Amino acid sequence: VTRESWPYAGRRDRQSRLTDRRPGIIYAAWRNGWQRVLSSPAIVAGVLAMTLVLALPLALTMRGLLQEHLGGSLMAHEAADAVNYDWWQEFTSQTAGLGATFSPTIIGFASTLDAISGLMDRQSRIVPVAAAIAMYLAGWTFLVGGILDRYSRQRPTRARGFFAACGIYVVRFVRLALAAGVVYWWLFTYVHPWLFADLYPAVTRSVSVERTAFVWRLVFYAIFGTVLLSVNVLFDYAKIRTVVEDRRSMIAALAAALRFIARCPGRVTGLYVLNSTMLLAVIAIWALVAPGARGAGLSMWLTLAAGQVYLLARLVLKLHFLASQTALFQASLAHARYTAAPEPVWPESPAVETVRPAP
Amino acid sequence: VQIRVVAMACVCTLTIGPWTGVRGEQERPPSVQSFDHRDPGALSPRNAGYDIDVRLDHGRRRLDGRQTIRWRNISAYETDELRLQLYWNAWRDLDSTWLRGHRRSRGTLPTRPEHFSAIDVSAIRLRAPDGPPVNLMADARHIAPDDGNDADRTVMAVPLPFVVRPHDTVEVDVEWTAQIPAPFTRIRVGWIGDYYFIAHWFPRIGVLEDGGWKAHQFHAHTEFYADYGEFDVRITAPRPFVVAASGRETERTDNPDGTVTHRYQGQDIADVAWTASPHFIDLRRTFEHPALPRVEMRLVLQPEHRGQQERHFSATAAALRYFGEWFGPYPYDHLTIVDPAYQSGSQGMEYPTLFTAGTRWLAPRSVSVPESVTIHEVGHQFWHGVVGTNEVEHAWMDEGLTAYAGARVIEEMGLPNRLGMRYFGGFVPWVLRDIRLQRATDGNSLARYREAPNADTPATPTWQYWPTTATVITYSKTALWLHTLERHIGWPMMRQILATYFDRWKFRHPQPDDFFDIANEVSGQDLTWFFDQVYRGSSVFDYGVQELSSERIADGHHRTTVVVQRIGEGVFPVEVVTTFADGVQVRERWDGVDRRIVYEYDQPSPASTVQVDPERVLLLDVNYTNNSRTLEPRAREASLKWSLRWMVWLQELMLTYGFFL
Repeated sequence: VTRESWPYAGRRDRQSRLTDRRPGIIYAAWRNGWQRVLSSPAIVAGVLAMTLVLALPLALTMRGLLQEHLGGSLMAHEAADAVNYDWWQEFTSQTAGLGATFSPTIIGFASTLDAISGLMDRQSRIVPVAAAIAMYLAGWTFLVGGILDRYSRQRPTRARGFFAACGIYVVRFVRLALAAGVVYWWLFTYVHPWLFADLYPAVTRSVSVERTAFVWRLVFYAIFGTVLLSVNVLFDYAKIRTVVEDRRSMIAALAAALRFIARCPGRVTGLYVLNSTMLLAVIAIWALVAPGARGAGLSMWLTLAAGQVYLLARLVLKLHFLASQTALFQASLAHARYTAAPEPVWPESPAVETVRPAP
Repeated sequence: VQIRVVAMACVCTLTIGPWTGVRGEQERPPSVQSFDHRDPGALSPRNAGYDIDVRLDHGRRRLDGRQTIRWRNISAYETDELRLQLYWNAWRDLDSTWLRGHRRSRGTLPTRPEHFSAIDVSAIRLRAPDGPPVNLMADARHIAPDDGNDADRTVMAVPLPFVVRPHDTVEVDVEWTAQIPAPFTRIRVGWIGDYYFIAHWFPRIGVLEDGGWKAHQFHAHTEFYADYGEFDVRITAPRPFVVAASGRETERTDNPDGTVTHRYQGQDIADVAWTASPHFIDLRRTFEHPALPRVEMRLVLQPEHRGQQERHFSATAAALRYFGEWFGPYPYDHLTIVDPAYQSGSQGMEYPTLFTAGTRWLAPRSVSVPESVTIHEVGHQFWHGVVGTNEVEHAWMDEGLTAYAGARVIEEMGLPNRLGMRYFGGFVPWVLRDIRLQRATDGNSLARYREAPNADTPATPTWQYWPTTATVITYSKTALWLHTLERHIGWPMMRQILATYFDRWKFRHPQPDDFFDIANEVSGQDLTWFFDQVYRGSSVFDYGVQELSSERIADGHHRTTVVVQRIGEGVFPVEVVTTFADGVQVRERWDGVDRRIVYEYDQPSPASTVQVDPERVLLLDVNYTNNSRTLEPRAREASLKWSLRWMVWLQELMLTYGFFL
């Protein structure tokens, strides 16, 4: 994207942009976010690859468990060609730990429902799965500095620059992640039980109509979800301000993020709602097209590909959240494509002397 | 509108044959009550009749009742006391036997005052033919014949001033009040909002057998046992309430105080349950069948389930049809289906001529809810309602039999019967269209049985089962062994057994051996070896292939060695089928007694597969994966396919949780 293509660039001063309440800026940030994401496909591919790398060892372990249980049995034929639910139940009854997570919920869209519902209902995950998720979060914490640096600069930083930025911000973002962890821990340890184990049962104790109870449940999901998303927005902008303004103090970054959100809540919320709508649309489409249990062979690989395409779409949208929020922030409080931190320049490797001797 | 079951008259003449051809009244085997004969024109001995006046105090959530019990001793036992069941005292305090058992099973305990209930008897008067009533209240006392729990008040012994001999009749008037509980778990009675479900609610007389009283305390995982009689119940409730009860409504009286008295009468039933709510949608259909009696089906439906009425009616009609064709006709001309209110804890329970179904607001058509629970509860109209088993001591005789037969009806109906998962607090359903539930495994709950196959010996009285695993033995194990028996002797024979059992024991109280005797007699086989294992023992069945190998021998043939192993303690004859690469099959019959058996074959081709029990007769086998072996296994393919699926699930979990960081 060129500076000229940014609709607000050069037209107004920073203050006027900040107070501009036209909805157009939301759309512009949203559109610009797409440009930033799509111009850096390596980031998308890299993060998706990280999920694969982290999931693969456990998947291989699971494969070993399944293969060992099936052994030379004819039960494998039906399991390979379709679903052998009888064998499935037999396997889960005879296994514990990782094997116990092999539930029919992994089929098709049920997988998505399980993930979201499990989060909203505070479903605990077994240690290996929780560990894989934790490793992903750690990896993400490392990468997000480079991702935001790339999105804020809006030009290729190449692998060297990308990972250098990751290195620059990782300690700061670990501190920020710890703060986020404390907040999420408090939300899930105290707020969630208070809402869903105390308040919800109290409110629905005498409800004799399921539809009414469901509406109450949705209200509580909305409350908890709003809190979660608000925290998410706050930490997103804290990360963005950390990178764009080269902030060292994460407390100051959080305060600055809060100030930004407080000064233009409409834009922040509008953009978040727009992005969330996109995410919901992708999930809805997946609900319609998610493949069921198919056979082995080509069908299996096509199903895997479909799953990866869906995950890719989810990931792109997550990255678009960050990119569009960066665009919004830069359009509001910073020059477009401006980052306070200098582009990291690293000294050459000593090997260069061998490759290119001094004249 | 009438539901006309699709069955041609000529077909029914054939299909209903078994119960028309069985032996009749004159060949009744002896029972636990020596004089349980039916009076002319009656279906049952009618020895325990009740006239009850009850008023629902909606504001105070209370019942005020007065009743007359007319009881005739049809046993050979002489007694000088009556025993009354006061079930609602089970939730009187935390020390009741019910709540002690419930605590052992780690169930939810009552925490709020409205969760507790009580039934207090204020007067018991014996009607004397030639004098004033005799007050029996002074000497009445609570007893605990099962566990000696002094705090339990669910059984009351009422001494009489004389001995009641066989054929003698006594009449007592009882006055009582009962506090209606709010459900804290699935206690199956109580109120929520302005919905009431009232069951096992009045002082009910126990069953006197030749060996003495059978009036057990109320236990957390057992149900009921009662004699048959005539009921005349007048229920007074606020005018807006729709009231539905066991029996037929014969009279309705508007009272000046804004209440309505509903009179329900029923004959040859052992209990009365009722429900009341101002919100019910009151619907009726007629079940008609060329060879079965007409039945008026009444459905009182929750408004939020409007649109599911046909699912309730069609499941009920199908159950009436199949059970009627297989076992014998439903003997009453009415049946009430109650759609319980959400969170009422009253779903899925059977009472004479009335049962509670159970559904959800979002209930996908391809998932068999409410059909499965509806069919199960209709099944109980036959097994427990008509064949009056003792649910406290032998719950398997009705629950297990109904689970087995209900699964068969679902299969016959051809329902889609897909696996449904529920998310977001259980409110949001999702149908897994790739998984169709199977009668043999899912219908009989094999997965649940596998969790604790030897938790208890079924011959143990049910009230003594370990609470957390009681249902595994009562429902799942019984359904599985009955289905195993069906596959072993064939469905026509099984049907003949059940029809004979139904005919001989309708409106009586059979014992387990009565069922086993009929099975042996009708099948013409001594099946004691089977019943010893599945009923009197807790053996686990598991047969498996230990080895399959084929090697070339001198003359160009292949020597195939098959080793089959009995891994579990249970013994059952099984077939062993070895298939060779050229398609040749060798079928062996193994008595399954030894720990293993070795078969060797010299064949032109090497072996391809071996299967133990390929028809899966032995449904109690807890590990069927080891029942087969192939020399061309596809475990690698299957495990790769499913582990990739699982990997995508894990990746999505990562993205979902990572979204917030």
